[in-house]
Amino acid sequence: MTTKRFLATISLAAMTISATAPAFAEGELNLLTWEGYADSSFIKPFEKATGCTVNATYVGSNDDFAPKLAAGGGVFDLVSPSIDTTAPLIAAGFVEPIDTDRIGRWGEIYEKFRKADGINADGKVYAVPFAWGAIAFMYRPDKFEEAPTSIATLWDPALEGRISLWDDKSALYVAARLNGDNDIYHLTDAQIEAAQKKLVEQRPLVRKYWSTAGELVDLYKSGEVWISNTWAGYQSSLLKSEGIEVVEFIPKENAEGWMDSFMIVKGTPNEDCAYKFLNMATSEPGQCGVANVNGYSAANPVAAKQCMTPEQYTSLHQDDPDYLDSLLLWENLGPRLQAYTNAWNAVKAQ
Amino acid sequence: MTAVQRLRSAAVLSPPLLWTVVFMFVPYSILLVYSFWKTQYPIFVPAFQLGNYMELVRDPQYLRVLLRTLKIAGLVSFFALVLAYPYAYFLVFKVKRPSVRLTLYMAVVAPLWVSYLLRAYTWKTILGTQGVLNSFLVSTGILSEPSSIFLYNQAAMVLTLTYVFIPFMVMPIYAALEKIPPSLKEASADLGENRLATFLKVTLPLSMTGIVAGFTMTFCLAFGDFIAPFLVGGPDGVMIANVIASQFGAALNWPLGSALAVVMLVIVLGIISASDRFERLGAGRLT
Repeated sequence: MTTKRFLATISLAAMTISATAPAFAEGELNLLTWEGYADSSFIKPFEKATGCTVNATYVGSNDDFAPKLAAGGGVFDLVSPSIDTTAPLIAAGFVEPIDTDRIGRWGEIYEKFRKADGINADGKVYAVPFAWGAIAFMYRPDKFEEAPTSIATLWDPALEGRISLWDDKSALYVAARLNGDNDIYHLTDAQIEAAQKKLVEQRPLVRKYWSTAGELVDLYKSGEVWISNTWAGYQSSLLKSEGIEVVEFIPKENAEGWMDSFMIVKGTPNEDCAYKFLNMATSEPGQCGVANVNGYSAANPVAAKQCMTPEQYTSLHQDDPDYLDSLLLWENLGPRLQAYTNAWNAVKAQ
Repeated sequence: MTAVQRLRSAAVLSPPLLWTVVFMFVPYSILLVYSFWKTQYPIFVPAFQLGNYMELVRDPQYLRVLLRTLKIAGLVSFFALVLAYPYAYFLVFKVKRPSVRLTLYMAVVAPLWVSYLLRAYTWKTILGTQGVLNSFLVSTGILSEPSSIFLYNQAAMVLTLTYVFIPFMVMPIYAALEKIPPSLKEASADLGENRLATFLKVTLPLSMTGIVAGFTMTFCLAFGDFIAPFLVGGPDGVMIANVIASQFGAALNWPLGSALAVVMLVIVLGIISASDRFERLGAGRLT
């Protein structure tokens, strides 16, 4: 069954929605994206320069993209999923190929990203890399005599009730690495089971599994949690502005890496504005915009060099390709996704 | 019936009927249809098979979460009843001045006008390690240092849900108690029954409809809740609605999520029809 027919099947629900949706005038751009990715600091000048009005809807997780697009098209023009969520959107036919000739700074983007499996299919490119970072770990330095260097610290009984972990399949990646299974995106059933066991073992020590950035910040702020994983750069800077000192670290078991890219939704009536936006996003305003607002690293190191201070350039690892290469860049799990999510749900069901 | 009459009754009936069909029957049918589909990368395809339901039986995690949810909903309804009944009784029979009665009644009902999220969030600030409760206990010397046992566990969820849903228990019990004619209690007293016997043989049976209605509403609301686990629940706090949400989101397994939702719907409908029967059995009967 094709996507079209699938959409037709649920069109009853969709019809009521599209009937009430306003007709979008030319020059409007509707983004389904992360908070900060449509920050007014660089969107306002963009709107002024191009005449394209930007409306942003924010997602709380990568899981929100596919269901929103599956529930009917015509609402969003651009989406910004992470590299592990791009493949199903391409396979489901929700997004259009990118004409990279129309992206002026395309060649300056890290090759690792341009060539990534997640955004390439049948010789075509489907996404424009925007920002990246690590799923690092962080802790409160005032609570540790010795700086933690290993994931194993999150299994330390002495820290009972002070540990938090991201409520995501990423928890299995963490546990698998602790088990020494480093091919975290291709775990066998036995390895998933071992990771699940490890997480069940850890559960009594966990204060709370965090699901949003704000929640993790709250957990640190209210003194509940001393150590957790984190979206490197983001929560730590939010905490810093609250006056709470945290230190990020990459454990010796390594860390996952992520990369977010913009994709054009199939059938968008606002293609011109979409390409204008993509050009802005991959050049200085967008690249330093996301670095300043979210604390993430930029996908275009050339643009980053132009608009960042040398300190920022270094601290965001823009000059350090080895750092980027050392990260286990997220991959789509394909049909194995169910096995991972079921294992994670089973941990929480215990 | 003449044609005009028929037309008139059709005009009166059709909006609610249309509403029911469009917003109840159609979505539930879609849900039911989905529950027979199967996942296939990248999303899912139509099929007619019972695999999703088999999976719910095969994997113990679903039964475990279901039982946990029933337990929490049961505890919430129990505590709400234990708190709400004496309160409603006090309002109806002990408070003489109508203005005081109204004020006390509104004190319970008014929080309903405040966002649920806000009310649940309030408990977080009360129960947290640096929260109001801990500050109080430490400053009075009851605790030497703040305790973390109040928040992020099932007890916190039961407390929050009880607080949030208690108006739904107070309202029907209050209404049922208010309808009891004072003459019945006087008659019971005239016949030599003491106050306890009067309560057990007259007041309690006559307020049973309110209890059943309140219990049913509180139970079903708590059963379907997924905010409390998110806000005040701990690592063992996941309820059935959270699992459904995760199947529709993270797992992108709408068929399995639909099967779970159908099971949940059947349970809720079962509870409602059981309570309906129970209510009719006990309605107005004095033992």
